[in-house]
Amino acid sequence: MAKPQPKKRTAAQVLGDVIFYVVVLIILGFFLAPFLWMVFNSFKTPLQIAKMPPDWIFTPTLANYQNVFSSQKFGNYLWNSIVIGAGSTFFGLVLGLPAAYAIARYKQYGIATAILIARIVPGITFLIPLFILFRQLQMIDTYQSLILAHMLVALPFIVWVMVPFFESIPQELEEAARVDGASILQAFFQIILPISGPGIVTGAILAFVFSWNNFMFSIQLATSNTKTVPVAIYNFIGYAQIDWGGLMAAAVTITLPVLVLALFTQRYVIRGLTAGAVKG
Amino acid sequence: MKIRLMLALLLVLAIVVACAPAPTATPVPPTAAPKPTDAPKPTDAPKPTAAPAATSAPAATTVPPTAAPAATKAPEPTAAPAQPYKGANLRILVANHPWYDYLKTILPDFQKATGINVTLENYAENDLVQKLTTEFTAGGSTVDAFMQRPLQEGKLFAQNGWYVDLNTFIKDAKKTPDTYNFADFQKAAIGTETVKDMLTGIPIVTEQEVLYYRKDLYQAAGLQAPKTLDELEAAAAKLTDKSKQQFGFIARGQGNPAVTQFSSYLYSYGGDWFDQNTKKATLNTPEAIAAFTLFGKLHKNYAPPGTTNMSWPQAVAVFAQGSVASYTDANSIFANLLDPTKSTVAEKTGVVVFPAGPKGSVPYSVTSWGLSIAASSKNKDAAWEFVKWATSKEIVLKEQGVGANPGARASVWADPVGKSKFPADWVAAQVASANGRGYDRPLVVQVGAARDIIGTIITAAINGEDVTAAANKANADFQKLLDSEPK
Repeated sequence: MAKPQPKKRTAAQVLGDVIFYVVVLIILGFFLAPFLWMVFNSFKTPLQIAKMPPDWIFTPTLANYQNVFSSQKFGNYLWNSIVIGAGSTFFGLVLGLPAAYAIARYKQYGIATAILIARIVPGITFLIPLFILFRQLQMIDTYQSLILAHMLVALPFIVWVMVPFFESIPQELEEAARVDGASILQAFFQIILPISGPGIVTGAILAFVFSWNNFMFSIQLATSNTKTVPVAIYNFIGYAQIDWGGLMAAAVTITLPVLVLALFTQRYVIRGLTAGAVKG
Repeated sequence: MKIRLMLALLLVLAIVVACAPAPTATPVPPTAAPKPTDAPKPTDAPKPTAAPAATSAPAATTVPPTAAPAATKAPEPTAAPAQPYKGANLRILVANHPWYDYLKTILPDFQKATGINVTLENYAENDLVQKLTTEFTAGGSTVDAFMQRPLQEGKLFAQNGWYVDLNTFIKDAKKTPDTYNFADFQKAAIGTETVKDMLTGIPIVTEQEVLYYRKDLYQAAGLQAPKTLDELEAAAAKLTDKSKQQFGFIARGQGNPAVTQFSSYLYSYGGDWFDQNTKKATLNTPEAIAAFTLFGKLHKNYAPPGTTNMSWPQAVAVFAQGSVASYTDANSIFANLLDPTKSTVAEKTGVVVFPAGPKGSVPYSVTSWGLSIAASSKNKDAAWEFVKWATSKEIVLKEQGVGANPGARASVWADPVGKSKFPADWVAAQVASANGRGYDRPLVVQVGAARDIIGTIITAAINGEDVTAAANKANADFQKLLDSEPK
């Protein structure tokens, strides 16, 4: 026949595909099962939750979500978490991007290591010193203290994501800009930063997620006004009673923003993470 | 383009950060009170480096006016002389507990009557301990009063000098009028709160161990509610039919959590953790071994599989689904079993006093939570006003009669209102056990470590291993722990 047939796939190839998708399904099932269990249970009454084996078909109730937002005022805690997460990420970027660029361009690896140490030392080491400092500054229970504390991790993180990224950008770009009369700062802001999108997004997202999930700093440095969601979720675990439904609904509530953020930006994150991997 | 958009977005977020304290200050009126002065001051302090601070600075200045409505700090000039502590600010740390859930609804009464501003901060119980420990260790804590578990942390906190001895207030007629009637508190409950003659706190929640049983299953088998541990074992044997997934018995079986609910078995057999006078561990006495053996046997033969991984939430879930006939645990968890929205067997479950062993029925009867004043507090007198109010007969009656939190006042238990929230058989069991043993775990500083050691015997007994050998080993470990404790 003259017309080229679409390539016939061999039995082995088909089998390979089938196995591939089966494995994908198994892995997905493994990782998604707890998540689905959480979502299902957030719509159940306490009796239905405790039932073994679980009901797959049931009349959903919104009571748990009402509890989360009306009696527990989870809106406040979400807001606190957003402010602190965005704040620590933003200031982490403001300080971290120039620092990372300087380290990458001028090979200041000593400084980079010093910054890394701040990340390696367990956070709990800083806890009591930070508490004492902030208490003397009258800053306990303010957003500022929490943002500063969360930056302890966000900043090194951003620096270490950005250093290899900046290193992968050809130095000729900056040199060309300098030849055309730009100052170093101009070159950085007008030439380098605009092409660093994926790296910045990666660092920012991961720093934000860290702040969102952080429990230790939040519980010690926040009190009632700045309580964040990971701390507030324990409101559902009381002495001699656990509100599983409320707990699940709250868990879904605090997972959603991060999930949405991750879905929209995962393209950048992957590009950013691999950006510095292969250097020419 | 995208980058510019993103930077713009971040800038917006930065502005949001700058004006952040305002929105949260308003929706939490009573809790926003304590630090109104702190909020405005440091707003611009920490970020001198940030270039866009220019944009956040004007926003920051708008903070004080928005925070103002919440700021109750300034005492009104109309201060009546009957309110000696008017304007005082109290910061009180509490646990996530139904006692707190109810208290926050009546707190405005106190604030109105005394002019004292109270901020309640609630945490999960372990976080509460961690938070208190950090603040007290760091020094200069602003905590005035706190909820605490006397049996778990009492000795440790007392040793560190973190409590105010409340006897100083109780014995001062000026600070504590006769109407407070301290003698009204149950002896066992006060005993739990007393460390070396020091009154570490006022009991607010008490609990005893009881037996929950399925009236319908017992009746169908022609059985009465068990009065002795032997009867309990016989009934458990009769009501176990593993082919039908029907079990005669359940209790916490996970080593560490099971210790407290095992204690009543131990006491009823005549055993104890250690000799209070000689500080000798007594985990391998014949009485103790008999108690461990029975507890293990009940689990092994008549309980659903997997009890060695069960604390109360798991055990409750199994019982509430209706496959178990008897369950020994604290009476404080009754709502999980007797509330029809949580339990399928709510109507069919009865409560009786803990079954008697060779030495009679000796359940624990303890203060599970107390209210204490921090030694570092600068407002001790105002804090005592609060503690006195929260533990007064009137409030305890409300806490118990409306909030269903079993308190420690005998007069409230004698009052029909005080019993109204509890089933009649529950109250009967409570009253019968009120004079039980004042501790449900060994009274040491390192409670957690001690529970882990004792838990190994429980696990061995449930798994059908050699109980005597396990008890001997645990006894030696426990003795080491006792020897390491300060006298």
